[in-house]
Amino acid sequence: MADEAFDAVIIGSGAGGAPIAHTLVRAGKRVLVLEKGPLFHAQHTSPDGLSDFKRDEEFATGAEKVLRVPGVANTGVSFYSSHVEPDLNDEPHVYRDSDGRDKVTIEGYTAQVVGGGTQLYGGVSLRFAPDDFRLRTVNQGRADLRGDPNGDVAREAQDWPFGYDELEPWYCVAEELVGINGTRDGQLKPASVDNYQKPLEPNSISTHVAAGMDALGFRRYRTPLAVITEDHVPSGRAVPLDRESIKTAFVNRYGDPLGLKSNTWVSLLHPISTEPAFELRANCAVTHLSATGSRVTAVHYRDPLGRERTVSGTVVVVACSAIESVRLLQLSAERDPGFAQRINGNDLLGRYFLTHCFGGASARVPGRHDKSRTLDSDWATDACAAPEFVRANNLWAGGAIYNNTSDSALPISMARTWAANDMDTTWKGYLYDLDMRGDGFDGYLTENFGRQLSVAFMANQVPLPTNRITLHPSVRDKWNRPVAHIDKGWHGHDRAVMDVLAEQCRRILAAGGEGVQVIGYGHVGNDVRRIANHVLGGARFGADPEDSVLDPDCRAWRFDNLYVTDGSFMPTSGGANPTLTIQANAFRVGDLLTTRV
Amino acid sequence: MAEGTDKNGRPSVDVKEIRYGGSAGFTRSAESGRGALTRSPPDTTSRVCGGIDPQRPFATGPALAARVLIKWVKAMPVVQVARDDQYVLNHTTRFLARDTGEVAEPFHLPVVDTHWDGASAETSYRFNDVTFVHRDDQAGEVGVVGTFGDLHTPLPLRRVRFLDEPTGLWAVTVRVGKGQVHRYRFTVDGRSVLDPVNPQRHRGDNGQEWSRFFTHGCAVPISFDRWELRLLERLVTQVLPFQLAENRRFLTDFYHKLSRSERDRQFPLAFLMDESVGVVNFIDKLLAREERHNLDDYKTCLRLIDGVLRARFPGREPAELGRQAFMDLYDGFAANNVPGWDTEQYNEPRYFLLLLRRHAMTGAFAHPKHGGNNGAAAWAYLAERFEFDWRSALEAPLGRNTDYRG
Repeated sequence: MADEAFDAVIIGSGAGGAPIAHTLVRAGKRVLVLEKGPLFHAQHTSPDGLSDFKRDEEFATGAEKVLRVPGVANTGVSFYSSHVEPDLNDEPHVYRDSDGRDKVTIEGYTAQVVGGGTQLYGGVSLRFAPDDFRLRTVNQGRADLRGDPNGDVAREAQDWPFGYDELEPWYCVAEELVGINGTRDGQLKPASVDNYQKPLEPNSISTHVAAGMDALGFRRYRTPLAVITEDHVPSGRAVPLDRESIKTAFVNRYGDPLGLKSNTWVSLLHPISTEPAFELRANCAVTHLSATGSRVTAVHYRDPLGRERTVSGTVVVVACSAIESVRLLQLSAERDPGFAQRINGNDLLGRYFLTHCFGGASARVPGRHDKSRTLDSDWATDACAAPEFVRANNLWAGGAIYNNTSDSALPISMARTWAANDMDTTWKGYLYDLDMRGDGFDGYLTENFGRQLSVAFMANQVPLPTNRITLHPSVRDKWNRPVAHIDKGWHGHDRAVMDVLAEQCRRILAAGGEGVQVIGYGHVGNDVRRIANHVLGGARFGADPEDSVLDPDCRAWRFDNLYVTDGSFMPTSGGANPTLTIQANAFRVGDLLTTRV
Repeated sequence: MAEGTDKNGRPSVDVKEIRYGGSAGFTRSAESGRGALTRSPPDTTSRVCGGIDPQRPFATGPALAARVLIKWVKAMPVVQVARDDQYVLNHTTRFLARDTGEVAEPFHLPVVDTHWDGASAETSYRFNDVTFVHRDDQAGEVGVVGTFGDLHTPLPLRRVRFLDEPTGLWAVTVRVGKGQVHRYRFTVDGRSVLDPVNPQRHRGDNGQEWSRFFTHGCAVPISFDRWELRLLERLVTQVLPFQLAENRRFLTDFYHKLSRSERDRQFPLAFLMDESVGVVNFIDKLLAREERHNLDDYKTCLRLIDGVLRARFPGREPAELGRQAFMDLYDGFAANNVPGWDTEQYNEPRYFLLLLRRHAMTGAFAHPKHGGNNGAAAWAYLAERFEFDWRSALEAPLGRNTDYRG
């Protein structure tokens, strides 16, 4: 028997968990959300009027820490986590590098905090394109795909168990309740309702991206961003008198002290936080689930001081980001052969782990622009997601392209990432460019500060059974549990997709106007480590119990009351940033659950 | 207000400049412009000063002839701040709670955070909230004594609860002025104990060990001796863009062209404008707390650099050498080949340069509360030379965003 019982116990408070909590509490159900990380407030939700997030580059980059995990190849290296990422020594993710050696990485963490990854993300909230839901169907019989001599893509491509039209109303719900600004016109993704708030004026540097897209005939629209620009009735949030002050370079990788970024805490959970039926327990890490037959009967967690507690739910929803959700199910299976048989009888749990094919291009523009007043992106285009483009380039799927306005906007992040293709791992640029000192430093700033512009793409990765999450045989976390082991490579066709889309990004900038100088373009196809913090797949849903972990309702096939709703349900990764789709699907599942509890 | 205030309604805080060796000089505020320059003898009746024994400042440190800015605070009632149990759990348990391994990132304790008085950015800006947290499942009562308040009467910590049950954590939050260093000890059922988590220590002249913390914008040297600070100053200016003549002029002009009241309002923590914009102070604080593991690298390399320069320029004081000497030194580091360098003591001089570059870069452009970017001078330089409207994002009175409170 568990210590307490609720209608629903939801593990994780981010994009996959919060929409379900919101929906169920609004329907009068008793809901407990367990979150491993702290409850970091925005000013308006805080009892003392202060936010736990700061506009302080030290909060994103942090001081140097040293990896002390024994038994991995990179013990002793430095890492620089943000204040809501775990200390890697407490809970490392281990990946298998291309040289076969195991290393610890900070990649693949979203954020351990109430709101999860939606606290730190740039807020890009694109829908997936209609064809992203039917990649098996649209690729049937094709033999023209680049870099795919064995026909892997046609064999492994998956259709979702439903199409765009079925998810469409839930996209509308998510866009309304989360609070998103953007424009519809020019999108390849039809909308039945336009719930966008009005975007702010783009940063002036983005003029070059608009010009480049226009020159190539790419229809463009204002990138949908999870930042409110008007008072948001569903969450009760209000914008500052000076709306232009909403724009700040402290956006991507920063929690928002003003709560204007629409993370799931301020948009979905705080509005229900005074409901007696709702309880949020932060700083509580779930260690495993236990089941009796087909029912999960207890959720075992450690309270903030590490004491073991249990709770039961009529339904149990696992939504703590794909890698950790898969790991939690595997840890539960490790303790109970019956659980193992039910969750992984077909050996698919952890397989088909996905991230995105991503990359882009960067340029130096002739004029200087103040990038301190910006949001994460201004312009997006679906031109490279169009079926005609995909076919013409012998690809299986397309992707979204948008500019990053906040990149290199702040001086320390510019230092960190100068001459590096890597936002997340380490200090690069200024450190190793030793001539950049004194006058040389001044010259570097003169040439680059306020003049850097980048364009990125986000595209589907080919699902492969060999890309998988398992439990590491020896490395353990601070609760003495095996950590996640990530085995991920890129398919030859992934590299083809990335080559094509990186070239399109280059072309956009090259056509961006007189004096725009492309300084680099490329992708992550040569680096198995890169995950972009888009962690997807590993517990995919589908219509066939032999070929999926979850049924079309995101319920584990052989359990009555176990659901998984973070990105791990995705059978393909979609041609866009995944958060809005995770949220839309979670609203869909939440609605189903109102009749099941 | 619970304490004495001056005619402007500001807390009356005496700030005195002390010469090592104990002779008191004239007073200058460590928070430039805020405190008036006043002349007063050491207040030997005061039980609290900035963590330093007023009779023998830095008595356990090297005997230095340097002037060090030390803040003496008249004994005043401690102002407690309401921070709830959720706040304490949010900022501590992920580091503390575990089955294996040691406390993670122990530098987070005590928690030094923004203060908000519920009324005004200007009055709030001068303070931090400091939350002391102690874990003891068995204790009947826990208190804290320290130079931030009363050294003899413990301030009680409350039991932190979760689901209406005691967690074994104890906590209290107090308001402490910015720019200060303090020592403290916990009392557990009458026993005096060090903070077992916070690695910062201060040994008093009677040999007693104390736990230590410092607040935002602190300019009291902690990690380095005077000669080390001066040498480091010369090294970091090699990295930064401010040695360019026009940038040096900018820094000077930037500060001096501000009116006194503007300086008070915007940069209450700036105390010295120099080519390193306070980077040395930033490094001093970073190595005292978050990056203690890098302190030995600095200590060893500064000693070796001192030796190398003394050998190259006999009879000259290394920190007084011309710019070229440091440019040559930099080139040697970059090439990982410094003539006269003892690789037995430190194998990779280039590694030290990388460390120094990262710290210099960060210290120059990080938020001034970390001790560098003095008076936001480096941001002002970016705004002046390029386009960078940092003020619109940052809290007043440092910036001009009145929605964001820091």
